[in-house]
Amino acid sequence: MNEDASTAAESLMRVPPSDPASVIGRQLIAWFGHVADFLALFGQTLGCALTPPYRARDIMRQFHFVANESAFIIVFCVSSAAMVTIIEASFHMKLVIQNDSMVPGFAALLILRELGSVVMALLITSRVGAGLAAEVGSMQVTEQVDALRMLGIDPVRFIVVPRFVACVLAGFVLSIIANVVCVYCAMLVSTLKLGYTAGSFVTAMRAFVDLRDLAFASIKGAAFGAVIPVFSCYHGFRCKAGAEGVGLATTNSVVATSVAIIVIDFVLSYVFSYLY
Amino acid sequence: MIQFDRVVKRFGERVVLKGLSFTIREGEILFVLGTSGTGKSVLLKNIVGLLRPDEGDIWVDGQEVSRLAEESYFPVRKKCGMVFQHPALFDSFTVFENVAFGLRRHYGMGEGEIRARVRECLELVNLVGVERKMPAEISYGMQKRVSLARTVAIEPRILLFDEPTTGLDPVTTNAVNRLILDLSRQLKTTSIVVSHDMHCALAIADRIMVLDQGQIVAQGAPRDLMRSEHPLVRDFLAETLEGES
Repeated sequence: MNEDASTAAESLMRVPPSDPASVIGRQLIAWFGHVADFLALFGQTLGCALTPPYRARDIMRQFHFVANESAFIIVFCVSSAAMVTIIEASFHMKLVIQNDSMVPGFAALLILRELGSVVMALLITSRVGAGLAAEVGSMQVTEQVDALRMLGIDPVRFIVVPRFVACVLAGFVLSIIANVVCVYCAMLVSTLKLGYTAGSFVTAMRAFVDLRDLAFASIKGAAFGAVIPVFSCYHGFRCKAGAEGVGLATTNSVVATSVAIIVIDFVLSYVFSYLY
Repeated sequence: MIQFDRVVKRFGERVVLKGLSFTIREGEILFVLGTSGTGKSVLLKNIVGLLRPDEGDIWVDGQEVSRLAEESYFPVRKKCGMVFQHPALFDSFTVFENVAFGLRRHYGMGEGEIRARVRECLELVNLVGVERKMPAEISYGMQKRVSLARTVAIEPRILLFDEPTTGLDPVTTNAVNRLILDLSRQLKTTSIVVSHDMHCALAIADRIMVLDQGQIVAQGAPRDLMRSEHPLVRDFLAETLEGES
């Protein structure tokens, strides 16, 4: 995030490309430059988060903003997604294998391993991440970040770390809430529409999932929570002047974070598959 | 006090500062004039490490600073106060909290002392009764004055002004210029003022330096600059004289 916004990779990009190989090469160099800068910011954030001062009040304020103020929209969206999932699963199972006895198990599996955490993370990205990128971007272009540095305040510690810690905690907690709500809604639809009792739903579900799934989903939630503020701040710190610059930083941050969430979801699912 | 030795600063292919060398004495008021995009703000930011030179050395108080690590820069920044081109006030803090921010963080002052100091600094820039307001609730000119108060609050020995009077009304502009002069004369503060305003420069500067395309094209005391034959200096002077007539 530091000072000279134009890196060597960026200066290279300004020279008109001469052939397709050069174009690809330059894009790759620029992309690796971004990855290296992002990892450096992530490492710095992690280092600051683990060392005092901890600024508990700021963390709690951010946690309230991320968790409390996002909870309703997350619950609303994941419950809708869960209801659609169970209805679709039932319809297709009946179509293919002529009964839907495995619906609770498959639905719970899909919810706990993917749906709950990923939908929750994508909603936080759009609600919190976008706002954060715009906030940091406008702080960057109005020289507030420089003003912090002039006053001896590390912008990473001051801006990124409270949001990072809050998002990790909120990701963990919201993931549990999202998954529990998802499963509850699936059960509700099953009892009202598919003829299950609550007991038979839980019994059928337990054949496929257990508490480990909820634990892994929460770990995923925390991991997603960790990348959202860092990506947002990374793009905010690199924001170019003007309304267009702030808009671009916001868009880039949402796209990059969403892609990162999908990739992290794949990596963690792969790792967790060895732990069952 | 501050010395630039063949400082070069590039942004990609574009060379913004082309081997700049000059010295500023303690207590001096140096005005840096030039058209937009000639590297005036870049020059200021290089002094305090907000930007780093690609080549050359920068000395502040006898210490070479251009290669300091970010965490080692604070003692240098503590000596310097910078008024940015934008007011750069923290949006989520009140005016009082903005001015008190630096004092609270690093000076270990009691709450009573902080209140007194904040009031004193706000009075210095003719702002009283706005302490509880948020930056968004006051005008741009007032925001710039709060920014000035925040900078002065920590009593820096070196003041860096990046277009401090842009967007201010003539009365406030005069007040700010008078403040720069008073701080320099009474507290022996060294000031570097980046500006387009030749009129102010002629009135209060000890020395004026004119930059064009990253190079010094003219410098000297105001009376010497009046005799300069450089076209850019003549343009600046012509505009000032036109404004006066």
